[in-house]
Amino acid sequence: MLQLNSIDIKKQRKFVLVWGITFLIVFPLLITLGLLMRLNQGEEIQLGMDRFYTLMTLHGLGMAGVLYSMAFAALWYLIGTRHTKLNLGLGYFVYFVVLLGVIGLAYATLIGKFGAGWYLLYPLPFKGTNWPAWSTGLSIVSLILLGVAWIIGILHVVYALAKEYGGLTNLLGWQYLGKKNVQRELPPIVMITTISLVPGLIAYLAGAVFLFMNLFQHFEPALSFDALLLKNLAFFFGHTLVNITLYCCIGWVYALLPEFTGREWKTNKVLVYSWNATFVFILFAYFHHLYMDFAQPLALQYAGQFASYLSAIPATAITMFGVITQLYHSKIKWGIIPLTFLIGVAGWAIGGFSAVVDSTIAINKVLHNTLWVPAHFHTYMLTGVVLFIFGFLFYLSHTKEEQEKDKTAKIGFWLFVIGAHCFIATFYTGGMNSIPRRYADYKGIPINSTHTTGALLAQIAAICIGLLLIGLFIMYGSIFNKLRKGKNIPMVPSTNT
Amino acid sequence: MNFLSPLLSIQSFAAIISFIAAMLVVVVVIFLVITSSTEEDKYSVKHKVYKLRSRYFFALVICIVAGLFISLRLLPYAKFQSEPDETVTVVAMQWAWKIAPGVTDKNPVDFTGGSEITVPANKHIRFVVTSSDVNHDFAIYNSKGLLVAQTQAMPEYHNALEYIFPEKGDYHILCLEYCGLAHSIMSGIIHVN
Repeated sequence: MLQLNSIDIKKQRKFVLVWGITFLIVFPLLITLGLLMRLNQGEEIQLGMDRFYTLMTLHGLGMAGVLYSMAFAALWYLIGTRHTKLNLGLGYFVYFVVLLGVIGLAYATLIGKFGAGWYLLYPLPFKGTNWPAWSTGLSIVSLILLGVAWIIGILHVVYALAKEYGGLTNLLGWQYLGKKNVQRELPPIVMITTISLVPGLIAYLAGAVFLFMNLFQHFEPALSFDALLLKNLAFFFGHTLVNITLYCCIGWVYALLPEFTGREWKTNKVLVYSWNATFVFILFAYFHHLYMDFAQPLALQYAGQFASYLSAIPATAITMFGVITQLYHSKIKWGIIPLTFLIGVAGWAIGGFSAVVDSTIAINKVLHNTLWVPAHFHTYMLTGVVLFIFGFLFYLSHTKEEQEKDKTAKIGFWLFVIGAHCFIATFYTGGMNSIPRRYADYKGIPINSTHTTGALLAQIAAICIGLLLIGLFIMYGSIFNKLRKGKNIPMVPSTNT
Repeated sequence: MNFLSPLLSIQSFAAIISFIAAMLVVVVVIFLVITSSTEEDKYSVKHKVYKLRSRYFFALVICIVAGLFISLRLLPYAKFQSEPDETVTVVAMQWAWKIAPGVTDKNPVDFTGGSEITVPANKHIRFVVTSSDVNHDFAIYNSKGLLVAQTQAMPEYHNALEYIFPEKGDYHILCLEYCGLAHSIMSGIIHVN
């Protein structure tokens, strides 16, 4: 157990609050972009195609970036106050570089009208564009800044943990696989942090290669790269970023849920096998994004479906059954924190299942790039990751007693959950009806039923977004109210390991 | 999943099993909340849950093996396609489709074709799909607005998509890969007679 003085803990707390408040400011702004997009698709407003794709690009990049950054910051706090010392100066450096990258992206999209989508699908940023070349360059440089910041952050956390626990293999829990007794227990959050961040590092390096190739193309238009190779790099980077965001959140569910159930959740051999398998699945699952690229080698298509299917084993049989072991007959008091974790795990399970369905090549051939895709990733991001993040923010702002009694937070929470699931249901219905994704509107579709169904679903979705925003702001009220008072928060975080 | 049609489209099948799974999750959540009001020794709970977990594990492995076994026989790739009755060349460009019968050795930029084509029903039609600029996605919709087949249209690559049109009438082509400003109005027609 790490021994920190109260001043150091206060500094770490201040650091994570800086991230938290930034998240709370940016998150609803990005939701608003989503709302505008759905209103445009519902033919309630007229954004124009160029503005729509600009907002779509910023919404996608912004959400993926802000959710990952917040998940990373929460892990940083829990690791830095419980398991190993982390350098706050470097933490703030990461924060400011990320901020710079976000400002760059906002400028490139909102002012520069850059609208190539989050994945900059090569060679789209350079062909038939309706935005100036400088905004493409600024977007690439901004994304490089984000990548550099995230790589530095990961390297620091993993290096500090490896030093503390005696090497990377110990962080992966391999000492549990031998016959010898384990000298020092490995907290699950430390193993999960490693298993989330190391594949993240590999993916960010692939992303760096992708971005530099794009940068070279930007400065030398005569260059030409292989579109399939760049697509692989883009999806390896993007898919892994989103995937590890979720796993980072699961890390703190393992650490914090036992504080409310009173039941320990320790590392053992099964857990190590399970999470090490997850490590492999994280790296190979992204191939399911390229099923409709028939030119992709067949072995990689198989790898995509195998990895996606097999990832369900550790996720459900180990982690979700772990949650059941924690909660079943536990006499837990359902405060807002364990509630966010339980409903978050449910969102993960629901979104995960529909993702596995979509990862079936024989099904993907009629679901790919329909609204089914945003349906499943919004499920585990909006009703999984976001709830886990709010669970963490409630943990920062509320004492154990306060979180049990806070009815306002629970009202906001349920409004958000209902609004979010109804919003997502419009996406699933759209996918079932073959409504294309990434369409500014459906007016140009020559099939009348597709046009009208798509527009109607978008109108309903906009109402649902309104509901979830109300719930969100009620939760904000609860968090800021408690943060303002703040005196009851224990300065030394508790630990279950 | 072709054996499901005409009773059920693949989309409906996906939606139904996903809905059932979501309802199962809701039931588990409600069960956990209800049972959490009483207390049981944690070792006893562990024993019970681990027993259930073993059964779940084996059931899941069987489901995964069965899912892989069934679904991997229904792949849309060239290796699984039969000899076509007719071949059609499709070149995507920002923001139109160039379609013509037969195979071409022309550069995609120089290739000429219209946005409509006529093909026979109940015959193996092979679409050889490529792009002259950015990535697109050649998606075929039936008259009811249901997506029935698709493949990416990629610069420098040729993807062969096979489809047998079961009904006469008009099928629509939409682009399902974001390809720039006018992506949402990029369409074509396949007349099936």
